[in-house]
Amino acid sequence: MAKVTFITEDGDHVIAEDADGSLMQVARDHDIEGIDGACGGVCSCATCHVKVKAEWLAKVGKATEEEQDLLDLEDDTDERSRLSCQIEITDELDGLIVEVAPL
Amino acid sequence: MSGCPFHDAFSDHRAKGDAVPITFDGEDLTMIVGFQAVRKAARSHGEFSSDAPFRVPIPSEEDVRSVRQLPIEMDPPEHKGYRALIEPHFRRPLAPEYGERIEALLSELIDEAVERDSIEIVRDLALPLQSRALTYLFDVDESEAEEWISWGIHVFRDGEDGAAKGSVLEDYIHQKFDEAEQTPGASDFFSTLAHAEIDGTRLTREQCVGFANLAFAGGRDTVIQTVSSVFYLLTEKPDLMAKIQENPDLIPTTTEEFFRMVTPLTHIGRVNTEDRDVHGVSTPKDRRISLCWASANFDESVFKEPLEFQEDRKPNPHIAFGSGAHTCAGSHHARLIVRTLLRLLSERGISAQLLEKIDNVESHEYFERRTGFEKLVLKLEEGSV
Ligand code: HEM
Repeated sequence: MAKVTFITEDGDHVIAEDADGSLMQVARDHDIEGIDGACGGVCSCATCHVKVKAEWLAKVGKATEEEQDLLDLEDDTDERSRLSCQIEITDELDGLIVEVAPL
Repeated sequence: MSGCPFHDAFSDHRAKGDAVPITFDGEDLTMIVGFQAVRKAARSHGEFSSDAPFRVPIPSEEDVRSVRQLPIEMDPPEHKGYRALIEPHFRRPLAPEYGERIEALLSELIDEAVERDSIEIVRDLALPLQSRALTYLFDVDESEAEEWISWGIHVFRDGEDGAAKGSVLEDYIHQKFDEAEQTPGASDFFSTLAHAEIDGTRLTREQCVGFANLAFAGGRDTVIQTVSSVFYLLTEKPDLMAKIQENPDLIPTTTEEFFRMVTPLTHIGRVNTEDRDVHGVSTPKDRRISLCWASANFDESVFKEPLEFQEDRKPNPHIAFGSGAHTCAGSHHARLIVRTLLRLLSERGISAQLLEKIDNVESHEYFERRTGFEKLVLKLEEGSV
């Protein structure tokens, strides 16, 4: 369990206190605007794109190769971009802050 | 056409470049065929516009409907507010209760199918499934599906009686909006639209009909052909269900691979807004562009061994549901149906024997492609995998 904050496109801060499982699933469970996770977490759709706050990058880690291939197709990505379906929540990520990228 | 279950009908076109000039039912089109090029064009609304009533579908639909389909036949930024009106309905499949209803429906239809000596999948399983599931999306009574089923396989032109069906659909939709206007606060799709506002102004009746028309037409053949093709896959890949049984994590990847391979909607149109060179094809203003999803999804520069059905393919950035602002609103619903179907068929160990099939072939001067079946008769057996 960990606490995670999503900052949506409108600037709202939505906090998930009990985050567990994949970050995409956490976002879905909390109806986070801008996270669809349409393909079910298998690197097919990129509708769960988030940008990780810089200070969390090291702990969250880099995109996997499969994930990066998909991110490369998106227009608005940078070195903070990750697909939230590929981030597993661990205790180490307690306090994590991510920005939701527009769909 | 090759005998292989999934057919890349556009490899010769891609060999010529990212775009090719073609003639489709007498109309000159520029068809974009390379994956990156299709994806980019779908997102370039200024160059390739959807703001063109009747001209987004290929072939165009002047003679089968009287209204502009919404929100597909408009461009951003205007599109955004219109799409937002229907989004809550189209996101209903993300809720767990919706998944349970789809599962119960599929279980019932599979129960019936395995009890028979044989079943014609297209009309006796896929059509009732599509229609009854759509009542969940629309949030209307399930009995409403009986009328939708009676319209037959092609909403606009069902071969069985040869009559143009477009007007039947439009009359029905008008009747539903007449009723919906009397029931403010009701949660169904028709009432939502009948009372919806854009910038403080109610939608016109014509706009309401445009939304409903697309939801019926866009979600019908595509889903029927998808479901039929899943059943056909049982005959083509008899070992697939055992693999999924052993490793259910394969369900989402198989689902995506399935949509890539089948790509139920071959292509969709845009209108070129200025004279321009489209990847080497000189294209005059107002000529239609075909965004060929079915070619893009077999592009060997993106998909390794594109003709191989790889149930664990990952990443799988297929664009069977389009790309960008117009990405299919019904994709949550369609994906849920296929995932649930794969799960139930594998859990129950269903196998299928092919008794008869008639392919549904899109046949044109420049390509020929199977998009599903006119008829698919199978014998299903439970517990045999
Ligand atoms: C396997 C099933 C399906 C496939 C392959 C499919 C494919 C597509 C594609 C490629 C587009 C993009 C069109 C464009 O870029 O102009 C689209 C849009 C759309 N589809 Fe689907 N579709 C499917 C199922 C459905 C269902 C079940 C519904 C509704 C019940 C639906 C409703 C829509 C709507 C409303 C749009 C327009 C979205 C917009 O303009 O914002 N589709 N579909």
